[in-house]
Amino acid sequence: MTVEEQIRDIIAKITRVDKSIITRESTFKEIKADSLDIVQALVAVEETFGIEIPDEEAQKFQNFGDFVSYVENRVVQEEKV
Amino acid sequence: MGGDYAPDEIVKGAVLAAQKDDVEIFLVGSTNILEKELAGYKFANGSSIHVVEASEVIKEDEPPIDVVRRKPNCSVVVAAKMVKSGAADALVSAGSSAAAAISAIQFIGMVDGVYRPAIVGSLGSFAPNTVMVDLGANVDCKPHQFLTFAIAGSVYAKKFLNITDPKIALLSTGSEENKGSEAVREAYSLLKNSGLNFIGNIEGNDVLSGKANVIVCDGFVGNVLLKFYENIGGYAKDWTERKLKKYPPLGALVKLLFNGLFPTTKISSETEKRGGGILWGVDGVVRIAHGASRAPNIANAIESAKEAVKAGVIESLKSELTKFNQGGKL
Repeated sequence: MTVEEQIRDIIAKITRVDKSIITRESTFKEIKADSLDIVQALVAVEETFGIEIPDEEAQKFQNFGDFVSYVENRVVQEEKV
Repeated sequence: MGGDYAPDEIVKGAVLAAQKDDVEIFLVGSTNILEKELAGYKFANGSSIHVVEASEVIKEDEPPIDVVRRKPNCSVVVAAKMVKSGAADALVSAGSSAAAAISAIQFIGMVDGVYRPAIVGSLGSFAPNTVMVDLGANVDCKPHQFLTFAIAGSVYAKKFLNITDPKIALLSTGSEENKGSEAVREAYSLLKNSGLNFIGNIEGNDVLSGKANVIVCDGFVGNVLLKFYENIGGYAKDWTERKLKKYPPLGALVKLLFNGLFPTTKISSETEKRGGGILWGVDGVVRIAHGASRAPNIANAIESAKEAVKAGVIESLKSELTKFNQGGKL
């Protein structure tokens, strides 16, 4: 399962939206994710991938794709270490 | 250890509850402050009331959502983790309701099929067989939440009001199916096909009529209505006294009526004792008390949390939800 698929599953489970509507361009508003959904998703993603996402980075995520790209990069970095 | 009158009134309320009932209480907060408060009572650390350290505090200007990532040692998070681990059976908080709800969701978790917790409360004296849900936990609701509200309200009505097959209604701006906000209209359709005893929409004028045993609405509407309802008695009394000022004997009668017979001040305490303020849908008993709670309110909240544990409300809710999950309705 790719990073993108795993994050999509996490967000779909938390927001209870059909994961097929979550594309890389989807904004959190379009996914109907409120601030608590987003925080829960951040915590779940951090636990799943063993990373920490600083608030200042999380605040830059404009859409699902930004979130996925950030985590993908971090996972690659972690693998290099 | 939050609340407008914390820590003194909270500690006093805990002592009242412990004196009255067979209950073991953990006060979670700054050990130094709590032990100093407790020293004035006959209960001490190690007896029926214990103190558990929580070193962080959520300040008034901090968003409650910060408890999840930035305040792992604040009292409500520590208490939620105690419920999750089984060290405590229930959590009672008079601090930020949002922080308590967020901690409950994140650290205790939700029962299967429920997205967010809801607050259910009995309307007490004027409508003794009616409960309303949600009373303020969810300001913006997705349609499927109304269905879980109805199920939670139904379990409440069965457990606390002994109603076998509660009649469920959706609060709207008209009785017709197409009335109300988009979420309410979608919720109508879900409730209609739910298999619950759904009687359709009711309007504000029927809230106290007893037509419905469970009135379902979003937390915005429910909270506004609850606070209006809890305070209307006091205003009615003031208005009547003003009108009858020129007839002193009648004024005395009004006082007698309102203070003794007419339950103006009892609505809140009845709601408090009958399972009110519980966050339904969390996988553990979480009881929210008003921020302005004084010691007797805290004691009532502790008592109602204990009653909820004894009544097995979580297991009942899970059992009801399982029926709907099996039918794929949630």
